[in-house]
Amino acid sequence: MNFALNEEQLEIRDSIIRFARQELAECGEGNEFPRAAWQKCAEMQLMALPFPEAYGGCGADFLTTVVATQAFGYACKDAGLVHAVCTQLLCGMQINSFGSEELKRRYLPPLMRGEKIFAQAITEAGSGSDALSMRSRAEHAADGFLLNGTKIFISNGPIADIVLVFAVTNPEVSRISGLSCLIVEKGMTGFSQCPPMAKMGLDTLQNGELVFADCAVPTENLVGSEGQGAILFNESMEWERCLLPAAHLGTLERVMETCVAYAKGRPAFGQPISKFQAVSSKIVEMKIALELGRLILYKVATSKDQHKRAALEASIAKLYISEALKQTCLDAVQIHGGYGYMQEYDVERDLRDSIAATIYSGTSEMQQNIISRFMGL
Amino acid sequence: MSKDSIRHFIATELAADGAKTEIADNDQLLEQGIIDSFGIMTLLGFLEEKFSVHIEGDDLTPENFSSIGTISALIDRKAGLSAGA
Repeated sequence: MNFALNEEQLEIRDSIIRFARQELAECGEGNEFPRAAWQKCAEMQLMALPFPEAYGGCGADFLTTVVATQAFGYACKDAGLVHAVCTQLLCGMQINSFGSEELKRRYLPPLMRGEKIFAQAITEAGSGSDALSMRSRAEHAADGFLLNGTKIFISNGPIADIVLVFAVTNPEVSRISGLSCLIVEKGMTGFSQCPPMAKMGLDTLQNGELVFADCAVPTENLVGSEGQGAILFNESMEWERCLLPAAHLGTLERVMETCVAYAKGRPAFGQPISKFQAVSSKIVEMKIALELGRLILYKVATSKDQHKRAALEASIAKLYISEALKQTCLDAVQIHGGYGYMQEYDVERDLRDSIAATIYSGTSEMQQNIISRFMGL
Repeated sequence: MSKDSIRHFIATELAADGAKTEIADNDQLLEQGIIDSFGIMTLLGFLEEKFSVHIEGDDLTPENFSSIGTISALIDRKAGLSAGA
């Protein structure tokens, strides 16, 4: 068992931290999608890391991608942008793992260059945690499928050029066999994108409804085979429940460091507030979460690099790190007192951003259900 | 031999209602609700560890997990590939 990152991983981590601090320092004000920052991220090859060099990618392993994402979440204060980039990566990983050679050649290069914005559409108004009970339907039609349905809360949805849509292709069989994943492009007849929805946090991330009304999708836009959608979904969740927590853990570390600096510099009753155990204990809990979160996170990533299953560990990582981030941000506001409640201080936004981490990609309650099932309970 | 161990695992660990103890080779595991979407994840972990195979990409189709017969055939195919590699 080796707990050390190699030189290349350390170099990538440090370069991303330098990049984000220099180039993205002003990013995250307002609710607009930061296109200029997005393009800089692409130029930094943040969207190309895990993909094969044959398509223009960096060919990095998953652990390296996770380390890079953690560094990005650490140094970029715009959690909306970080989430948007993660969404882009996750869409690419599905295409790379399950797509045909033609789909890879068509979509991976513009994805990695950031020229096209990608989204994946699973959630519907009536099916969040119970994702497989979706009602969107893709019926066989001439040269492909006719897609009907509405997706909601879709990250990158309102601005997406390309969407990976999960829909029922065979209602006569179980949902495990009856779902498929189709690629829909902006401009296709019958595809419309609603304006971004106002949210509590992740301000620059654009989330919204996508409507498909007799949208004709050619057969070659099927990702994987027909009926493979549910299994593809399961597979992608293992990556997602490692990649998003990687960003969260980076943020947690930054918030912890902010708290350490503030607590050591803020005097009360003649000494720094860090000397009061009620304050220092909160920061100690942050440090423990950082160290333990890193272990489970890197275990998942290493398992995936070894082509091993890591669904249980990914759920533990997702649950533990997202809850730890939320608690860290709550405690950070508390440690900062009145200042922490003011928008002038970063921890106010960090707290708003952190709440969603325990909801998207499977709520904390769903992760507990999954872990429970793995334990045979 | 692989069929028996697969059958035992499904009956004892995955059968959704907990009462399905006898599963025939051709019973439709997904369509009869013997295995749900979570069960597939658990089954994959079991198969990969038990038989030292990697199941990914094109092999991850519902058809390959539709019955004990098809699962066993998949394992035989993967194990054969591993042995020949």
